[in-house]
Amino acid sequence: MVSVNRPTRGYRVFQGVNGVILTLVVLVTLYPFVNIIARSFSGEQHIRTGEVTLWPKGFNLTTYEIVFNDSMFWRNYGNTVFYTVVSTAVAMVLTTCYAYVLSKKNLKGRGTLVGIAVFTMFFTGGLIPNYVLITSLGLKNSVWAIALPNAISVFNLLVMKAFFESLPSELEEAAQIDGLSTYGILLRIVLPLSKAVVATMILFYAVSFWNSWFSAFLYMDRTELMPVTVYLRNLLAGATAGTGAGAATENLTQVNANIQAVTIVLTSLPILCLYPFVQRYFVSGVMLGAVKG
Amino acid sequence: MKNTGQLSRRQLLGAAGFIGLAALTGCGSGGDGGDDAKDLSKKRDGAMRDYQAGQQFKATKPLSFTILHNNNPNYPMKGDWLFWKELTRRTGVTFKATPVPLSDYEKKRSLLIGAGDAPLLIPKTYPGAESAFVSSGAILPVSKYVDLMPNFRDKVKRWNLQPEVDSLRQSDGNYYLLPGLHEKVKQGYSLSFRTDILDKHGLSLPTTWDEVYQTFKALKEEYPDLYPFTDRWSTNTPFPAGALFQYLGQAYGVRAGWSYLNTSWDAKAQKFAFTGATDAFRQVVEYLHKLVDEKLMDPESFTQTDEEAFRKILAEKSFAISANPQELVQNYRYNLEKQVKGATIEMIPVPIGPAGPVVLGGARLENGMMISSKALEGDDFVALMQFVDWLWYSDAGQEFCKWGVENTTFTRSGPGQYELRPGISLMGSDPDAPKDLQKDFGFYNGVFTYGGSWALVSSSFSPDEKKFTDAMARREPLPTDPPHPLRAEEQEQATLWDTPLKDHVTQNALQFVLGKRPLSEWDDYVKELKAKNMDRFIDLHNQAYERFKKENA
Repeated sequence: MVSVNRPTRGYRVFQGVNGVILTLVVLVTLYPFVNIIARSFSGEQHIRTGEVTLWPKGFNLTTYEIVFNDSMFWRNYGNTVFYTVVSTAVAMVLTTCYAYVLSKKNLKGRGTLVGIAVFTMFFTGGLIPNYVLITSLGLKNSVWAIALPNAISVFNLLVMKAFFESLPSELEEAAQIDGLSTYGILLRIVLPLSKAVVATMILFYAVSFWNSWFSAFLYMDRTELMPVTVYLRNLLAGATAGTGAGAATENLTQVNANIQAVTIVLTSLPILCLYPFVQRYFVSGVMLGAVKG
Repeated sequence: MKNTGQLSRRQLLGAAGFIGLAALTGCGSGGDGGDDAKDLSKKRDGAMRDYQAGQQFKATKPLSFTILHNNNPNYPMKGDWLFWKELTRRTGVTFKATPVPLSDYEKKRSLLIGAGDAPLLIPKTYPGAESAFVSSGAILPVSKYVDLMPNFRDKVKRWNLQPEVDSLRQSDGNYYLLPGLHEKVKQGYSLSFRTDILDKHGLSLPTTWDEVYQTFKALKEEYPDLYPFTDRWSTNTPFPAGALFQYLGQAYGVRAGWSYLNTSWDAKAQKFAFTGATDAFRQVVEYLHKLVDEKLMDPESFTQTDEEAFRKILAEKSFAISANPQELVQNYRYNLEKQVKGATIEMIPVPIGPAGPVVLGGARLENGMMISSKALEGDDFVALMQFVDWLWYSDAGQEFCKWGVENTTFTRSGPGQYELRPGISLMGSDPDAPKDLQKDFGFYNGVFTYGGSWALVSSSFSPDEKKFTDAMARREPLPTDPPHPLRAEEQEQATLWDTPLKDHVTQNALQFVLGKRPLSEWDDYVKELKAKNMDRFIDLHNQAYERFKKENA
């Protein structure tokens, strides 16, 4: 794709301007992040007076210590990891199967199957019926209450379908002639060629399950089953709701000042670490599916 | 406990939104409300035969009840709390609690009730929030069964709370919420002043709103470039400077700010009037306009965040700000002492205005409890009501919920005076204590501890709060609104009118105060309200009031 010709003057100017603008955009998006990290390590006094910008002032780890020392935090963090892994695995299997089937143009009733999926994009049963359904199925207080209702994201499904459709059908025909079954073709030919879109989908699903709190909040009845997102949400609400009468303590004011920053850092860190590894697939994968599909 | 006014309004909004949902989900089960023939003789499992006020409740056989538990992150629920153990020992009742994160308690409550999956006891419900569930039939019309609750009736009678409790009645004449009962109105908000600055210029703390004005004026003369007064509680609230409007309005005998309601009870005319068009409300607006106009009050007060406001106090750009006792001690004083040498700050009792030494009525009800209709199907219904009566409404139960077990968590140092045992801390009272009354023992829990006698309520106040609330407790409460429950279809209509009217009042009050709209246009403003159906809205409430009076004479 790289052009061998010398770029024109106009193109170079465009590149320069583009570079400057994009750098600015990066800085603007990065600043809140850096600021949050700085706040999470700063002293309460400096936060309150609004002195903290890019670098921590009055280095302080009290809030981190308090959060880390709460066993419920770790327990819920573990839940989040568990829920994310299980839900993503389930979602990937189901979405891949569905998308692969839909990508076969000779399949009868294909339109109906697509219709069923798309229908759910526009209509849902509503909160209470969903809750009643999950409860009657006996899924409450289990990982399945989170994994199953969210197993197929229609958007992801359609992207994947488009990707599969873009694969040359000759490949599959060749495999068929060599004696591979339908499942063999999917597992040995199609999936190895689809690493890009699979990686992308894993990232999409993992991020959404990692950040989600609502279904766990609805279907979990015990604190020790909650994901860390609910734990932190509640912690934030508690810190802003005030703590009632009594004398002030150093710790309390410190925690109130930067609990928000600390929790944001702690929850976004792992998923942030995941990005660089998947990102190369991410770019080419989605483009591939979208352009040709 | 903080800014109840604001919370209940949010709840009302949520409730309004939920009405549609409730109507959808609840059409099926409306029939069982009518039969008044309540034969409870078969529902007396575990109940005491002659349960009376002041008596210890003890179930005659072990019982267990389900309860929704608002899980406060400052003291997350634990199974090994002394509270649970001691409760079972004293009453024979075991709680099966469903913890729900405090952050989204209302959401889950609506969901569980809507899905018919709610526990028997649903505490932490603010007055007004229960209306949304009434039509579904999922909530017990508890007023029919208060004869099973001697302590509740006793407190309502002794503290003259009947008019307030009556205001909870729905259009069927029943009320569905067991509210928290306060003996006296608890006031939270007022002005605070930098006393060292006042002393320096020979000024004293003002006691009336005229004196407040004079004090600001005197400060302005000393510091012509500064605004003596800056204010907060303007963001994340439907009413900017909600606290200030509230306590200033009170001095004029009108509900403004956080406690603003479109309807005001006019005791003289014996009917409702539209709050935003009353004379008193105009005077409140005029007063604030005067402060802003003469540059005594920072015009940013109505838009800035709380942090920005307090930063101006810290930077000595202003010397007065709204406060509540917690903020005064934990934030203002704590930070001023650290950063401004010699600074002292005090909160004054709410200054007195034209309405005299009064406090708004109706504030003696706190959040309380709904009981699921399913409770009535149980054989232990009577015992449940007796138990609820003991734990939430008896003196012994309230003391137990708040302070715990004598000689284990607290000792008595005098009548109505409690002291925590050494090694136990409450909200930072003893930073070195290894144990915490809330976190480690489960007492002083918002789910179980609210309301009560003035002695009990004030037993946990900090010195500043005690001084402030004692002064306020001596004031006369204004009469409460008489009950005027709307029918479902009226409610729907009223909700449609209510919000646009409220928004118009809020916006214009602000414009008048800031001088963006001259006060000479007040009559035009009232005309605009009329165009937004103000009169029909008030008529609706007056009709409901007349109807209720006739039907329940």
